[in-house]
Amino acid sequence: MGKRFSQTHEWVEIENNNRARVGISDYAQKELGDVVFLELPEVGKEFTQGEQFGTIESTKSVSELYLPVGGKILAVNQKVIDNPALVNQSAEQDGWLVEVELEDASQINSLLGKEDYLKFVSQAE
Amino acid sequence: MSTKKTVLYSLHQAKGAKIIDFAGWLMPVEYTSMLKEAAAVRKSVGLFDVSHMGEIFVRGPESEKFLQYICSNDVKSLKEGQMQYNLLLNAQAGIIDDFMLYKARDYFLLIVNAAGCEKDYAWLKSKSSGFRVEIKNQSENFFLLALQGRKSEEILRQLELREAANLGYMHFGLFSTAGFGSLLISRSGYSGEDGFEILGENKFAALLWQSLEKAGRDFDLWLCGLGARDILRLEAGYPLYGVDMNEENNPYEVSLGWAVKEGKNFIASENLTQAKAWLEKKRIGFIMQERGFARAHYPIYNAAGRLIGEVRSGAYSPNLDKFIGSGFVALDYAQENKEIFIEIRKKRLRALTKKFPFLKLGVRKGGGDGKKVFANS
Repeated sequence: MGKRFSQTHEWVEIENNNRARVGISDYAQKELGDVVFLELPEVGKEFTQGEQFGTIESTKSVSELYLPVGGKILAVNQKVIDNPALVNQSAEQDGWLVEVELEDASQINSLLGKEDYLKFVSQAE
Repeated sequence: MSTKKTVLYSLHQAKGAKIIDFAGWLMPVEYTSMLKEAAAVRKSVGLFDVSHMGEIFVRGPESEKFLQYICSNDVKSLKEGQMQYNLLLNAQAGIIDDFMLYKARDYFLLIVNAAGCEKDYAWLKSKSSGFRVEIKNQSENFFLLALQGRKSEEILRQLELREAANLGYMHFGLFSTAGFGSLLISRSGYSGEDGFEILGENKFAALLWQSLEKAGRDFDLWLCGLGARDILRLEAGYPLYGVDMNEENNPYEVSLGWAVKEGKNFIASENLTQAKAWLEKKRIGFIMQERGFARAHYPIYNAAGRLIGEVRSGAYSPNLDKFIGSGFVALDYAQENKEIFIEIRKKRLRALTKKFPFLKLGVRKGGGDGKKVFANS
């Protein structure tokens, strides 16, 4: 199905049956610089679409993470907690942040496909 | 006022460096990763463009007398070819800026922070009317590079700078070179590692930068930006003006009493004694014991929940693999190994105080042939 992106630089990728993975875009990790700390929610917590679900810190900044689709947290990537640099190395693959049970899969339609996201990013610069 | 560029700006741009506005200058904050750059300086060597800093020259028969009056440290004790860390204090003993003072044969040189250069120059001029001195701000004529790390000396030897490689810590010399004009080279720096700072005329900047880069290829030289510079100086325990201290602070609060020569005819003499006697808080380092990134102005509490201070500097230290920081705390907490709590986004996380430096420094005391001793602070 591929990734869909929010304008706040998170991506979501549906895995199966309303279970989806969420992370930040490669563009976002480049902008942030070295990621040194992540604050991610506990499994079981619920968030609505666009709600802040955590914080990502680089050496020079603190940024909020917004859930691109509403749902319940099913898993948190312990690898990025232990090694935040993984987000820089592989933001759109191994550096995923959380897995979510989607409350409404159709919410994904309000997000941008990869091409549109890259266009959005290049216009913002 | 538009932002300024150093003479090496286009080289940094060509390297794809991430550029930020620092004190009105477009400077590289990192070339690759500030964490990797800061680690490289402590493993091999790094090269920094710090041309944004200011150079103020003081000449005239009463130069020493004037500087002894206006600078905090004992200027009279400086010998030719030596440099000295100094503070400019106002009459209330508040810190105007910190800088390095160089004593050359015919002049004194002050290398000051970029942000404070204009302010410092105006201050010096305003206080010099009773003295036979000439003060000139010549910052725009010079580039300044910092070569920092254990491989620095070998790299200088690779270029025709063998004499400079023999300098002792906090000493400098003027060297005429075939390719780079006249260079003022000092064994000094802001990283806490052995290293050199090189001052020269703008037209030679690019050639010297590229020559150092080329010579550095055999020694794992990394280009480093201001991000790495900030991490390194915090690890070394060096304060940053404007962040760790400002005009509201006196030297004793910032643990810079050692840079103050008491008992001399000095502009801040009266209020210095008071400042020392009425000390309420002091700058101390700390290491986070629970994972979290302490940043400027986060409040500091004790175990009982009393507010005892605030953070000023904070960083993830790649060389310690820990989150560290520094800030002001009530006097009874300004000692080693005190338990404090930093409030980070409504959670109070545990930290332990630490005296500076955070790690063993590589700066060399003594110098010249064979007499090199590593200092532990």
